[in-house]
Amino acid sequence: MAAPDLLDPKSAAHNSKPRLSFSAKPVLLNTPNDDDDDCDTRTTVMRWKTVSAIFFLVVLYLIIGATVFKALEQPYESYEKLVILEKKLDFLVMHGCVNSSELEDLVKQVVSAVRKGVNPSGNSTNQQSLWDISSSFFFAGTVITTIGFGNISPHTEGGKIFCVIYALLGIPLFGFLLAGVGDQLGTIFGKGIARVEKMIVKWKVSQTKIRVFSTLLFILFGCLIFVALPAVIFKHIEGWSTLDSIYFVVITLTTIGFGDFVAGEKAGSESPDYLDYYKPVVWFWIMVGLAYFAAVLSMIGDWFRVISKKTKEEVGEFRAHAAEWTANVSAEFKETRRRLSVDIYDKFQRAASIKRKLSSELGINTSINQEMTPGKRTLSVNLYEDREACHNLTLSLSPVTGALTRNGSLYLNGLSPDYADRREIAIIENLK
Amino acid sequence: MHSVGRSWLLLTGFILFYIIYLLFGALVFSSIERPVEDKLRQDMEDLKQEFLNQSCVNAASLELFLVKVLTANKYGVSVLKNSTATSNWDLASSMFFANTLVTTVGYGHTTPLSDTGKAFSILYALIGVPFTMLVLTACVQRLMYPLVLAPVSLLHRSGMEPRPATIVHFVLLVVLVLLLFFVAPAAVFSAVEMSWSFLDGIYFCFISLCTIGLGDFVPGTQPGQTYRALYQVAVMVYLFVGLMMMYLLLRTFHKMADLHGLTTFLQLPRCEESDLDEDREPIVDDQREDQRPSYQTQKGASKPLEPGSQPSYNTINKG
Repeated sequence: MAAPDLLDPKSAAHNSKPRLSFSAKPVLLNTPNDDDDDCDTRTTVMRWKTVSAIFFLVVLYLIIGATVFKALEQPYESYEKLVILEKKLDFLVMHGCVNSSELEDLVKQVVSAVRKGVNPSGNSTNQQSLWDISSSFFFAGTVITTIGFGNISPHTEGGKIFCVIYALLGIPLFGFLLAGVGDQLGTIFGKGIARVEKMIVKWKVSQTKIRVFSTLLFILFGCLIFVALPAVIFKHIEGWSTLDSIYFVVITLTTIGFGDFVAGEKAGSESPDYLDYYKPVVWFWIMVGLAYFAAVLSMIGDWFRVISKKTKEEVGEFRAHAAEWTANVSAEFKETRRRLSVDIYDKFQRAASIKRKLSSELGINTSINQEMTPGKRTLSVNLYEDREACHNLTLSLSPVTGALTRNGSLYLNGLSPDYADRREIAIIENLK
Repeated sequence: MHSVGRSWLLLTGFILFYIIYLLFGALVFSSIERPVEDKLRQDMEDLKQEFLNQSCVNAASLELFLVKVLTANKYGVSVLKNSTATSNWDLASSMFFANTLVTTVGYGHTTPLSDTGKAFSILYALIGVPFTMLVLTACVQRLMYPLVLAPVSLLHRSGMEPRPATIVHFVLLVVLVLLLFFVAPAAVFSAVEMSWSFLDGIYFCFISLCTIGLGDFVPGTQPGQTYRALYQVAVMVYLFVGLMMMYLLLRTFHKMADLHGLTTFLQLPRCEESDLDEDREPIVDDQREDQRPSYQTQKGASKPLEPGSQPSYNTINKG
C-alpha cells in the first residue's frame, strides 16, 4: 500500500485511520509505535527509545527552522529598523520644536493603544469599532477555533476572565462540530471518489494505484476548493499579493493564526465596504477548510507513520535477514566443526594404530616427540604451504581439541592433544 | 435510514448551537470591551491634539509618521529608543517563533517580513504541524500508562468500582494540571514580567495552552529582559509539556466519556484507541483482566446504538 486511502470503504476495517483530537487540532492517535508492540516486556524499553528519537528529531527540526528564519529575516528586520529610525530623525529635523523625548512618549502611547486595538491614526469618526457585533462574532470564532489571530483581544479583566471560560466550553464544542462536518465532507468526497474509482476499475488498474490516485485527487480537489479559490478571492478583495493570500490561507487553516493578515479586518483606518455576506462566508470557509486541513495534516502524519513503519519493516527485515544469515553461518560452522572433529578423531585413531604398528615393527619405545622430530624436519617445508591454504581450519581445530581432551580419548599411546596439529596430521597421512 | 436522519439532525443541532454560542460570546465581548475601547480612543485623540497644539507639527505629517511607525510596529520593529539592541530574529527568538508555528499557537508578535520567509513558513508549517502532533500524541500515549491507567487500576484494586474510580482520578488529574501548569507558571510570569498581573499570567497560560495564542501577552519580549534566550527556551519547554498535559486530559476525558456511554449517546466517534490499548497492555495483568470485561460489556451493549460503522470517511475521530 503506497499511501493510506482515507476514503476507501473497503479499507475502513483494517486500515488504521488518521484521527483528530477532541479539540479542533489534528492529532494523530495511532502512533508509529503501536505496531511494534509485541506484547512482551521488552516493548516498554523500545517505546521510550522511539519516542525520544522522535523527540530529538523535533528539536532538530526546530533548530533548523530557527537558523533558517534567522538567516532570512534578520537582515530584513535590520533594514526596516534603519528605515524607521531614519524617518524618525527626518521628522525631528523637519519639525524642530519637537524634542525627541516628547516624540518617544507619543510613540509609546500610540503603540500601546494600538496593542489595545485602538488605532489613533486617521479620524476617529468614521472608524469602525473593533468590538461591534460582527467583529466580536469574528473574535469569538477565532477563540473557539483556536486560531487566535490577536488583532483584537480583550483588555479588561472581565473580558479576559470571560474569554477563558468561553474558550473552555467552546473549544470542545467546536471539536464536535468539526468532527461532524468532517464526516459529512468525507461522505461527499467518498461518494465522488467511489464513482471515479468505478470508472477506473474498468481500465484494470491495480488496487494500490487506484488508492494512490484517489488520495491525490482528494488532495488536489480539496486544495482547489479550500486553498486556491479563497486565495484568489482574498487577493481580489483585500488587495494582498498572491503569496500573502496563500500565506494567510495556510496560516489560518492550520489554526496557527498570526494575525498579521486578517480577512475582513482591515487595520481600521480605512473601512472598505465589504459586502454584507463577506464575513459570514469567510467564517463558513474557515470551518469547512479546517476540517479539510485537519484531514490533510493527519494524512501527512499517516504517511510519516507508514514511512516509519516501512523503514522499521525494512530494518526489521534486514535484521531478520542478518539474524538468519548469522544463524545459518553459525550452523554451518558447527556442522563443519563437527565433521572436522569426527575427521580428526578418525585420523587420530588411524595415526594411533599406525604408530602402534610402526612401533611394534621397529621396536622403538621412545616418546612421540623424538620419533616425530626427524619426520618433522624433513616434511616441515611442504607442510607450511599446506598450512597457509588451510588457515581457517586451524581456528576450528583448537576448540575441537578442547572437546576431544574432555573425552580424554586422545590419550591413546601418549598422544598429547597439544600435538593435534595440522602438521602432525599431514605427516601421519604421508606416513600411511 | 433512521440513524442517518438522526446523524443529520444532530449535526444541524450542533451547527445551530455553535452559531448561538458565537452570538452569545459576541454580545458579551461587545458589551464588556466597547466602552473601554471608546474611552481609549478618546484619550488618543486628546493626546494627539495636545501634541499638535504644543508643537509646530501639522496633522498631516504626524499622521504619516504615525502610520509608518505603526506598520513597522506590527511586524515587531519598534522605533523606541531602548529597543534597538534586541532583535526579534536572533537564534533563541527564531526558535521560539518556529515553536509557535509548529505547535499552531501562533502569537503573531513577530511575523515573517520577507516573501521568502513567508513561503518558508508555509512549507515549514505544513510539515512541522503534523510532525509535532505525532510527537505529542506519542508522548501522550506513553504517559497514559503511568498517569492514568496505573492510578485507575490502583484505585480499582483498593475496592472502588471502575466508573467512579475514573471520575475521581480525572478530577484529581485536572486539579494537578491546574496547579502545576496554570497557577504556578502564572505566579512565575507575574513575578518576572514587569507589567503582568497574576490574572494576566493565568490568561496567558490558558490562551497559550489551548493554542489559541492571541499574542497580546508574550513572555520575553519586553525590552531589557535579562537572560532572554534562556527565558524563551524555558517558555518553549513549558508550552510543549503543557500541551502534552492538555492532550492527556482530553484523552482521559474522552475515554471516560466512552466508558460512561456519552459518546454513543451523542453519536460521536468513539475512542477506538481503547480497544487497541487494552489488547496490548503488557504490564498490569490482573487488573486489566478485571477491567476489560466491564469495558467490553459497555462496548458490546452500546454497539447497536452506533449509526452503523460508517463505511465512509470515518477518519475524523476524536480523542
